[in-house]
Amino acid sequence: MKKSIRNLAVVAGGASAAFALAVSPASAVPSTVWTVSPSPASITALNSGNVALSVNGITMTCTKSNGAGTGASTTGNPATVGTITTMVFGATGAPCTSVLGPVTAVPVTPWTIVAQDYNAATGVTSGYVGNVDANVSVGACNFRVTGKASSTYTNSTGALTVNSLAGELTVVTSSGCGSAVPVGAKPTFKGKYLFKAGTAIPTIVGSNP
Amino acid sequence: MKGPRPTPRSSRARVRGATIAAFVALAPLLPAAAVAVGTLKVDAALPYVCTLPSGPQPATVRITAAFPERAEAGEEIRPADVTTTVEFPGAAVAELTALKAATVRAESRLAVGVAQGEQRAEATWSGTAQPVAVPAEGPLTLTTTGDVSSLTTGTEGELSLTAGAFGVDLALSTAEGAATVPASLSVACAPAPDAEGRTVFARVPVGAGAPTGGPGTAAPSPDASSPSSPVPGLPLPPLPSDPAAPGDTAGTATEDPGAGPRADEGLKAADEDTPGAPAPRPAAPPCVTKDPTPMSLSAYITGYSNVRKQDGASLIPLTCVLMEQGDPEIVFGGTEEEPETHLINKAVGRLSTQGRQETPPFKGTFLTFGFAPTTATLVLEQAGPMALYSDTLLSYPYNISETYVRVPLVLRVLDARVNGTKLDVGPSCRTEKPLSSTEPDPATYPGDHMVLVGKGLSTFGGDAKGYLLTGGGPLVGKVTIPAFKGCGAKGENLDRLLTASISGSDNYVRQIQGQTCNILNPFPPINPECTDDGQPYQVPRAER
Repeated sequence: MKKSIRNLAVVAGGASAAFALAVSPASAVPSTVWTVSPSPASITALNSGNVALSVNGITMTCTKSNGAGTGASTTGNPATVGTITTMVFGATGAPCTSVLGPVTAVPVTPWTIVAQDYNAATGVTSGYVGNVDANVSVGACNFRVTGKASSTYTNSTGALTVNSLAGELTVVTSSGCGSAVPVGAKPTFKGKYLFKAGTAIPTIVGSNP
Repeated sequence: MKGPRPTPRSSRARVRGATIAAFVALAPLLPAAAVAVGTLKVDAALPYVCTLPSGPQPATVRITAAFPERAEAGEEIRPADVTTTVEFPGAAVAELTALKAATVRAESRLAVGVAQGEQRAEATWSGTAQPVAVPAEGPLTLTTTGDVSSLTTGTEGELSLTAGAFGVDLALSTAEGAATVPASLSVACAPAPDAEGRTVFARVPVGAGAPTGGPGTAAPSPDASSPSSPVPGLPLPPLPSDPAAPGDTAGTATEDPGAGPRADEGLKAADEDTPGAPAPRPAAPPCVTKDPTPMSLSAYITGYSNVRKQDGASLIPLTCVLMEQGDPEIVFGGTEEEPETHLINKAVGRLSTQGRQETPPFKGTFLTFGFAPTTATLVLEQAGPMALYSDTLLSYPYNISETYVRVPLVLRVLDARVNGTKLDVGPSCRTEKPLSSTEPDPATYPGDHMVLVGKGLSTFGGDAKGYLLTGGGPLVGKVTIPAFKGCGAKGENLDRLLTASISGSDNYVRQIQGQTCNILNPFPPINPECTDDGQPYQVPRAER
């Protein structure tokens, strides 16, 4: 009967893989110089569409989420082009929800925005949100999830699209969750955030001089 | 005016990228010595209306705090020296002395709206007070202090703070030190109509380009006993009476009409849908879990129960339910061809009313034999364990849950009047056995008991709806009310009268469960689930 869960994982993983293939055509030469404009930038982020966390088939949704951090030009590959210093899931009157009830997600920041590849034709940087660390609770069930979440950043829209691949995030502690969310479970995280630096849309450009 | 007003969108207004992060983490108050030159001191006294058991009463809520006169974008703003004082008039104090209250200890919650341009966030400033004596007459002043949220914004522009709903829990003791009956009062207050335009109590410029052209300003407060005192020597611009007023220029320094978001990018929708501050907690009976464990949950429940025979409904009042949840389990089911994964949550619970496993008394009015108005005072007594069983089908993209609440309840009649004439029902007037429902799983759950069912649904990436296990919602079912026995006194047997009037099948029950309180939850939720003393924060309302 474990087939059922495997099926779910295959579905989720398949969707993520298809997305990754669609948006991350590798450039011939990896970028090592990352130009963030403006730099340094004080960046705010607001979700566009709902943000979803799923673990063992239990879906949790946030209609409101926002964050703030900084961005700066840098070098290397992978390269940390940004830092998320505050992150909020849910809002007063609009908590994250699941069929089990409201979900509290308390991020442990800073998280990082890591660039790995740049497509000059589309202006899309692919990479991941790193150092992800958050405590999540639903009723008496509390767990902590850490890891990274694959993402892309699109210069034309200022959209950071997070779509974690299966296995990138892991439940490292769990209490009151029984077999529903055991240690070692692999949640997925999906959401889209619109970035602003003041009123401007920040951009990330990778190059290899 | 109830709580902070949303800022109307002017025709020039554009949603800007500013995002305010109200830290969930609590910032301990800074000592007074840490607040030196460059400090904005706030002292605002505002008229409020508070709902006491006897009805609304005027009150004054005074807020004092210190802020930095200016902050940089991204810099944490930590309100210091925060006090919240409520002054109740003599009429309100008389309600406390009527309960023989000699001392009172207050815990307060002030909803604070934080705004920057079009962006909004909410914070709750909580405070506690040492016990103070209840005066024999005259006003009662309660000053609370406590931890408040720090604030951070990544964008330049003026940050304004607005006083909203105010709630205060009053723990009462007699002169002998015993608890009064009731032992506490929860008082909900809202800004009075004449507070309109004055509820903004502080403005803090953020960044060099902040629009005020001067340091932070405390909002004018004509009622304050010590008026606001911005840093002397620095010019202050005239303040608009309310940031919501037409012509408000807050944020214009960074406003760029051409740099608004694209219409399809969600910012506008998010802004228009900015939720409000949580309402102060209405009065509710005590609901305290003694010796809680990490799996302890508590909640209020209330709703209607039809008496089909009378074509009427009785309101079952707010009742405290204390629960102990088990570990959730993943269970595999379905068929070989269509396997299913289920998440099973079980809990045991009990009603709790002043230490007894029953509802508070409630009244039901019926027309006995179709013409004699009969009013009965009733109570539902729990006659065995309450079992909660929630089964969630974890499919993709849906999570579908069914929650069953099973509880044996005996309906007891405490008092009855027919045509205004009291009937002596005696001390043991009850249904002869518990109320019953059709049980879908009688092998596992034998015996007479009521069954209520709640159904919930969530989709991947969508909001959950319906009954949510810990979030609450409607629980519905049908019950059969058995015959009564033991009713009457002095040789008069009222069993048949009450049985004929009330007993019968297919009585529809609709109860609304409130958000549960997980007392030992280490992570404070965005919407408060528990009061500071570990009781459910959310008080549901009955729905038909």
